Amino acid sequence: MTIHEPLTEQPASTTGPGAEAGGGLNIRGLHKILGGRTIIDNLDLAVNEGELVSLLGPSGCGKTTTLRMIAGFLEPDSGSIEVEGQEVSHLGAENRPSAMVFQNYALWPHMTVARNIGFPLKLRKMSKVEIKDRVEAVLELVSLLHHKDSKPARISGGEQQRVALARALVQEPKLLLLDEPLSNLDAKLRVKVREDIRKIQQELGITTVIVTHDQEEAMSMSDRIAVMNAGRIEQYSTPAALYARPETEFVATFIGSMNRVEGSLNNGLITAGPDILGIRPEDVILHDVPFDGAIPATVERVVPRGHFQEVYLHRPDARLRSFVTGEFMEPGQQTFAEIRKAMTFRDGRLVAEAGAAR
Amino acid sequence: MLAFGFSIGLTGGLNHTIATIAQNVHEADAWWGTLAAYQEMFTNKRFLGDLVVTVIVTLVSTLTVLFLALGIGLYLKLKGGRMARLLSGLAIVPLFIPVVIASWAILTFYSGTGFLRSAFALFGLDFPVWAFTMVTVIIGSVWTSLPFAVLMISSGLQSVPKAMIEAARDAGAGSLRTIVSVIVPMAAVPIIIATTFTAIGIVGSFTVPYFTGPNSPNMLGVDMSNYFSSFNQPQQSAVMAFTVFLIASGIAALYVWANFRSAKEQGKA
Repeated sequence: MTIHEPLTEQPASTTGPGAEAGGGLNIRGLHKILGGRTIIDNLDLAVNEGELVSLLGPSGCGKTTTLRMIAGFLEPDSGSIEVEGQEVSHLGAENRPSAMVFQNYALWPHMTVARNIGFPLKLRKMSKVEIKDRVEAVLELVSLLHHKDSKPARISGGEQQRVALARALVQEPKLLLLDEPLSNLDAKLRVKVREDIRKIQQELGITTVIVTHDQEEAMSMSDRIAVMNAGRIEQYSTPAALYARPETEFVATFIGSMNRVEGSLNNGLITAGPDILGIRPEDVILHDVPFDGAIPATVERVVPRGHFQEVYLHRPDARLRSFVTGEFMEPGQQTFAEIRKAMTFRDGRLVAEAGAAR
Repeated sequence: MLAFGFSIGLTGGLNHTIATIAQNVHEADAWWGTLAAYQEMFTNKRFLGDLVVTVIVTLVSTLTVLFLALGIGLYLKLKGGRMARLLSGLAIVPLFIPVVIASWAILTFYSGTGFLRSAFALFGLDFPVWAFTMVTVIIGSVWTSLPFAVLMISSGLQSVPKAMIEAARDAGAGSLRTIVSVIVPMAAVPIIIATTFTAIGIVGSFTVPYFTGPNSPNMLGVDMSNYFSSFNQPQQSAVMAFTVFLIASGIAALYVWANFRSAKEQGKA
C-alpha cells in the first residue's frame, strides 16, 4: 500500500490561468468568519482533474460552508478558489463552472423531471431540439428516461436523487459538488446510489467534491478524503492511508473505531505515561492458550455485529475492545489478548507506530 | 334569493312590502319573471359608467396591491435585513386603522386645501387636486387591501425553500429569472388567493369610494346604496348587486381553482 502525502504540499499553482498543478480545483488560504466565530481557518485544498474528493467531518466542522463557498453561495472573507486554473471566487453562483447536487435535491416541484433537467440548458439559450436530446441522454445515463414527464413528488427518493444528479450533469460542469447526497436515502439504497454516482463520475471523469459526515460513504467513493475538524483539514489522503496511518488522534478516532488508552506500550504491556495510545480493535488479537506477548484477559461483554463480534475485554493494564470472527464468545470467559499494533499520539499528533514483530 | 327574485320582477310573497314602497318597479310579465329591470340598467349610462369604473378601479388597485406585496415579499425573501423588515412592518399598519378614518385622512391629504397641495404651494408649485377623483379611490383601495396581501404573499414566498432558489442560481439563473421561473410559480397558490381576496374586497367596497370618490360615476357599491335609499329604487339596486355578485363569483372561481390545485399538489406529495 502506498501512503500518499497530503497533496497540498505538492507544488501548487501560484499564478493565474494556465497553471497546471492543482488541476480541477485549487483552494488557497480560504477563510470565513460567521457571527464572530471562525468557521473556516486558512484552508488549502487541491483536487486533481477527474478526481473525487470527500470533505468528511463531524457536523459543524465547516465542510458544508467550504462547499457553499466553492459553489458561490457564500463569499469567503479571504482566499482564492480556482477551477481548472480560472479564479472564480469573485463570481456569483450563476456564473461559476460548477454544478451542485443539494442535500434535499431541491427539485422544482412545479416542473416535470425533463423540465427540471432542461432548465439550465434553457438559460443557456439552447434550441428546444438540443435541450430535448441532451436531457434524454442524461436521463438515459441515470436510467430514468421513463420518468421524463413525471413531477418530482411522484417519484421515489432515490429517483429524485438521480434527477438532481442529472440536472447537475447536464450542465457538463467542470466541477461537480454534492452536499450530503445520500443522507436522505435508506441504508440499502444509499449503497446502490453511491456506487451509481461513483460509476458515472468515473465514466465522465468529472472533478467532484462530496460533503459527507458518513465515513463509510467517504471511504467507499473517494479517491482522496479531506478530514475536517474545526474549520481546518486534519488530514488529506487516500481512504486506505487515512485508516492505516491517521496523522492525528482526531482522525484516528473519527475514521473507524479505536481503543484510546493513556500510556505507552512496552513489550505488549501498557504502562502509565503521558501519551495516548490508539489501538484498532482488529489489532487486539485473542488467543485461547498462553501466547508470546499475549496477556490474560476476561471477556466482559460481547456485542454481535453480524459479520463479527465486538468483544469488550478487561486486561490488568487496560480495558480494550476487539473484533473477533469465528466462535461466539461468552462474558466471563478467560482469554489471552495480544496488542499487535498501536499508534502513539502526543499532543494529538501521531508520533510513533509501534507494531509487534509480526 | 329574495333580492334576485325581486330584480327579475317577482314582487309577490316576502317581496310584497318592498315592492309596494319602491318606485319604478318592473313587474313580472311571464311566470319566471322579467328582465325589464336589467334591460333598464344595462342601457342606463350612469350604471354602465359605474360598471366600467368599478372594473377599472378593481383591476388597477388589485394589480398595484399585487405588485407592492410581491415587491415587499421578494425584497424580504431575497435581500432581507432591517429595511425589508421595516417595510413589511409598515405595510401592515393600515390593518390597525379603521377604514373610515383612513378614508378621511386620504381625502384631506389630497384635497384642494390639503397637505400635499399646501406643501407644493410653498414652493410655488401647483399639485393637482386628487380628492373626489378615482385616483383617491384607488389609493384608498390599495391602502386598505395591502396589509392582508403582504401578509399572505410574504408568508407564501418565505415558504419557498432556500435550496430551490440556490438551485436556480446554480443552474445559471439571474435574479429576475429565478423570481419568474422558480419563486413565483412555487408561491402561486398564496399569490392567487391573496389576489382574489383583494379583488373581491375592492369590487364590493363602499366606504373608500363613498368618502373619497366623485358623485358619478362612482363604484357600484356607492351607487347601489344611492339607488336603494336615496332614489328609492331597490329593484335597480338589486340588479346592481347581482352584477357585482357575478363579477365576484368570477373572481372566486379563480380562488377555488387555486385551492384545488394546492390540494392536488398536497395529494401528490
